[in-house]
Amino acid sequence: MAEPTPLLQVRGLTRRFGGLLAVSDLDLAVYPGEILGLIGPNGAGKSTTFAMIAGAIAPSAGEIFFKGQSLTGQPTHAFAARGIVRTFQHNKPFDSMGIEENVMVGMHTQIKHGLWQVVLGTAQARASERAARDKARHWIDFVGLSEYAQAPVGTLSFGQGRLLEIARGLAAQPELMLFDEPAAGLTSAECGRLAEIIRGIAAQGIAVLLIEHDMPFLMALAQRVVVLNFGEKIAQGSPVEVQSDPAVVAAYLGQVKVGHA
Amino acid sequence: MNDFLELVVGATASGCIYALVALAYLLITRPTGIINFAVGEWAMMAAFAGVVMLNQWDWPYPVGMAVMVAMMFVVGWMTERLTVRPLVESGAPPLAPILALLGMLVVFREAISIGFGPDPQAVPAAFGFGRLEWGLLAGSYQSFFIIACTLSVFAMAWYFFERTLHGKSFEAVAIDRRAAAWMGIHLGRVTAVSFAMGAVVAGLAGVLAAPNVSAHYLMGMPLAIQGFTALVIGGVGRVEGALLGGLILAFAEQMTVRYAPVPPGLAMGVPLVLLILFLLVRPTGLLPAREGRT
Amino acid sequence: MKRTWPWLLALVLLSGVAFAMGSYQNDVYRKLLLWITLALGYNFLFGIAGQVAFSHFSFYGLGAYSVVIGITYLGWPLPLAILVSAAFCMAVALLVAIPATRLEGFYLALATLAFAQLFIVLLNEGGQVTGGTGGLANYRLPDMAGFRITGPAYTVVIVVLMLSTLAILLRLDRSHFGRACRAARDNPEAAAAMGVDVRRTRILAYTLTSTLAGLAGMVYAFVDNTVNPTIFGLENVFLLLFMIIIGGIGRAAGAVVGAVLLYLLPFVLSPLIGHHHALVFGLVMVLVVLFQPKGLMGVWDALLARRSPVARNHVDKGAKVQAHG
Repeated sequence: MAEPTPLLQVRGLTRRFGGLLAVSDLDLAVYPGEILGLIGPNGAGKSTTFAMIAGAIAPSAGEIFFKGQSLTGQPTHAFAARGIVRTFQHNKPFDSMGIEENVMVGMHTQIKHGLWQVVLGTAQARASERAARDKARHWIDFVGLSEYAQAPVGTLSFGQGRLLEIARGLAAQPELMLFDEPAAGLTSAECGRLAEIIRGIAAQGIAVLLIEHDMPFLMALAQRVVVLNFGEKIAQGSPVEVQSDPAVVAAYLGQVKVGHA
Repeated sequence: MNDFLELVVGATASGCIYALVALAYLLITRPTGIINFAVGEWAMMAAFAGVVMLNQWDWPYPVGMAVMVAMMFVVGWMTERLTVRPLVESGAPPLAPILALLGMLVVFREAISIGFGPDPQAVPAAFGFGRLEWGLLAGSYQSFFIIACTLSVFAMAWYFFERTLHGKSFEAVAIDRRAAAWMGIHLGRVTAVSFAMGAVVAGLAGVLAAPNVSAHYLMGMPLAIQGFTALVIGGVGRVEGALLGGLILAFAEQMTVRYAPVPPGLAMGVPLVLLILFLLVRPTGLLPAREGRT
Repeated sequence: MKRTWPWLLALVLLSGVAFAMGSYQNDVYRKLLLWITLALGYNFLFGIAGQVAFSHFSFYGLGAYSVVIGITYLGWPLPLAILVSAAFCMAVALLVAIPATRLEGFYLALATLAFAQLFIVLLNEGGQVTGGTGGLANYRLPDMAGFRITGPAYTVVIVVLMLSTLAILLRLDRSHFGRACRAARDNPEAAAAMGVDVRRTRILAYTLTSTLAGLAGMVYAFVDNTVNPTIFGLENVFLLLFMIIIGGIGRAAGAVVGAVLLYLLPFVLSPLIGHHHALVFGLVMVLVVLFQPKGLMGVWDALLARRSPVARNHVDKGAKVQAHG
């Protein structure tokens, strides 16, 4: 059976902050439709790796390939256009707009008509707007926010704000969706719903990469896990494999000697 | 050569005025992040206070100055309490206080214009209009007085920020407002004092400059722009930056007027061009902030 | 937007009144329409795109001066002068926008403030070309195809300008561009993550609104048939700022309300406070910022919400007073 081509291929990814080497020579691949978890102790370089894959910061060295094309050196806003979309750990909604409009911002890269058509009010522009609004409603339903769709963004609870982040990201038609500690701050009921949503996303063929500290949540959800420590990859495999990997256990427990508890 | 030396004293004095206005901005901006354009109008108000106390009522200069300082302290304090504090406390966006202050700017200016009319009014100089020759340098008494006052004020400001605990608390607030509040630093007090001191320094600039330019209700905006340009040139991070920026601006202006083959009206464009250049090329100014500051 | 009849109706009504008014009233009406046009553009730039810029009146002046210089000093036919002036305004706007939008929040304000002052200095020192401090006069709108457009007929031109500006800005606001502007203002990091080119959006917003101001300036040039530097100074920019904030920032209706109120009120108040209406406006501005940041439109919304439970669920589309960065 031939090796499936990775959707995202990261080679030799490195990031320095002054004298500190946060991420060192990292190779990572994400395959279409899979849920990949990225874990590691605090300070392992997960957030930095995430930020580089999301295009928020530039790597010091290394390459990022997405669908065969290099993303190195591209500005942040180009990542969404190519199909990589992220959510934020601390929700970042657009406060001055309603929920529907927040989600519609996610569709920015999908809009094909130019400003001239907007100004002239052409039929195409109007149809495109209507279609965008319909799609926004679809995604709001998908995450389960429809009964709050008319509420001002400022009145949403943290968990609802998280759902809005996801709906907004999905509106961008990603092929790879990046979640930054999505379970943080959620109740266990909300976590359950979140897991359902993420599985639903993957079921649609969208690859998912998530950073998480909540181990039970991540291990139940991810199909494959990559473990970082001190900026380097120390293990990868299925959740079961990784959980019993001595190097991983040592990293989390901070012990050099491997032993049974 | 004498020409140039004559220029030096005058330019230095102008530079000191700009530096004082820049310091006024700095005192307010550092702890609060608020850019207060009204400093120009504060200078203007103090100039008119000078008209009333020193000219109309003929009070002795030191008395007039002391009263002016007290008055401006109150004006600054009240401005902060009434128009800035409610906004900061209610968590309004950072732009809100700046807009409120723009409104106050217009209020101050119109109030003076109603009270004193549109004509320029005279303000007496500290030591009269004599000239002093000091070695190679020559200039008016007022120029030397301005320089002396400015250097004293800057020395005090430097000492305050570098050596006193209160000054350090200002720094703490500048670096991280929330953290400073959680540490127990009384934000309201710091902000009020910074506005009050800013008003005093701006007022000083107004009274010192007025003998040469006359008190006029429109004198605020040009001073505000020149002061801000000085601040941008010198850098917001350090007190000395305001002084450096003021001097550089004044010298650039005077040199252009005296030596460049352009009509004098265009010389008014010098601070503007410099401001634009610095904002584009080096918005942090010439002097870097000390380590540990943004 | 789909139906044009409300716009045609507005055009007919707003133009019709011009013919019913005397020449003094027409003059006030024309200037009011121009202020509304400027306020609409400024509201988009400041209230929606979140850019604190003081250069709006400078582009108004740039448009006015360039079209006049075009037909007098350069002797061009009017259509050419208009085209070249429009292109010139757009070019200058781009030239200012490209470096200026790299600056954050208040530094942008300062840069545009400096530009605005510099514009005045250049006008004052422009010698023969700009007429110096006295400005330019003794010109008039050239006849078009044998017709001379004066009086109420010219007011119709201004009505068309105002309605076109309103239509353009409303459409932009309710489009992906309007959302991108608000997103770039509310949270540039999140906006970029969603694919919005924040820098390009800011440059576009600035250039578009400034060019619209320039077009308004061209129309203005033939209202009094005189242009001079004082009209385009900082005083009027502050007044414009007060208009949109008192009216209700971020909303076209707010801009209209603010412009109408602040332009007409001095006529009413002058028996009481003479020329010092600016004092009142400054005070009202401070009060609005302190107590009702959404301006008069905010007051209106609150009244509506109290009357009708349906209105209470109305999602407020107004903008917060907020600068990017």
